[in-house]
Amino acid sequence: MWTPLADTLLQLVDSMMAPPDTGMTVTEAFLEIPLEVQSAVQDGKLVFFGTPPHSRWKSGVLPEVHMSRMRIELLGEV
Amino acid sequence: MVGDGSFLVEEFINAITSQLDRVQDSLRVKAVNRPLTYALKDLTLELKVFVDMDAQGNVRFRTSAPNEAGSSVVHLGFTTITKPMIEENTISLASTRSTSLEELGLGPEDRQKLERVGVRNLAQLNRLGSSTGVQTVARLADVSLDRLKLAIATGRPQVHAVHPEPPPKAHPVPQPPSRTQPPSRSQPPPRVGPVFSPPPRGPVPPVIRVAHGSTKLNLRGANLMGDDGPVSVRLNNRLLEVAEADNYGLAVHLPEQLESGALEVNLPDGNTLTYELSVMDADQWAPNGDRHEL
Repeated sequence: MWTPLADTLLQLVDSMMAPPDTGMTVTEAFLEIPLEVQSAVQDGKLVFFGTPPHSRWKSGVLPEVHMSRMRIELLGEV
Repeated sequence: MVGDGSFLVEEFINAITSQLDRVQDSLRVKAVNRPLTYALKDLTLELKVFVDMDAQGNVRFRTSAPNEAGSSVVHLGFTTITKPMIEENTISLASTRSTSLEELGLGPEDRQKLERVGVRNLAQLNRLGSSTGVQTVARLADVSLDRLKLAIATGRPQVHAVHPEPPPKAHPVPQPPSRTQPPSRSQPPPRVGPVFSPPPRGPVPPVIRVAHGSTKLNLRGANLMGDDGPVSVRLNNRLLEVAEADNYGLAVHLPEQLESGALEVNLPDGNTLTYELSVMDADQWAPNGDRHEL
């Protein structure tokens, strides 16, 4: 099951939020995540899919893992 | 994308950018119901791809398949930029609406050669030609000078017709029925609004007749979109506001206090076409003093 790269990135951004009852706020986060990236054509358009590796073990035939780095910032209270 | 799963670099970049745009849009929407707003500021991807070049000389990427060795690593960095930065680093939208190289009659091979020197449309070809000379462009791009000159001649701005839009119709006022009917008069045939096709340039400027109350003037032609936007139209040295414009036509708003005078059309190539705009008054010979639409 391949997830669009945008959905994976959104989930990663969401995961950076501190739970509401901790009284903490994450203001900035740097992530280094290996991603299994695949491309496909949907409705005539090239679409990228990206998911974290589904196994940390080297076994059998595995998709290529591509390293990604991202910086997430708090923009401020709305 | 071709059969081997490879794709052009620009398709590759666009596909990732559209995913990132979706992320930013979703975060923005989420912020409506959340007290905190996060943004994905930077993203770096180390993509393992196989780089290939097709028969047309385009560089293509193919993501590496499982257990494929020997792939190249492309480091792609994406960051958020502001609107002024976009405007500073990209070509104007107006210039993208200019006549394409295909419309100028250039073949795929010539188009590709010109794209390599940064020319994708007529406006860019004219700008480069005016700064370096057409001969230099032909030599640098390795395109025949004759074909390039022919393309530039084909892309010369032209105005084929200028005609006013008829004034809006007045709503008829209901009249009480009268006992005595006036003798029936034969109605004059409806007149068609004047359409002017400019003759070859001469010393006397061609006349465009416009009905009193007209609000718009339409110009039809070709290659009317330049690098800095559409052609500009002046009436009595006063710039008329553009209502709509594309490469083949232009509509300008006429002032409310419309007066006859000189109409100048400044073309993107620097030439100016001059007309005489004549505002026609109400038809004095119309029955009961009614006005005829022209």
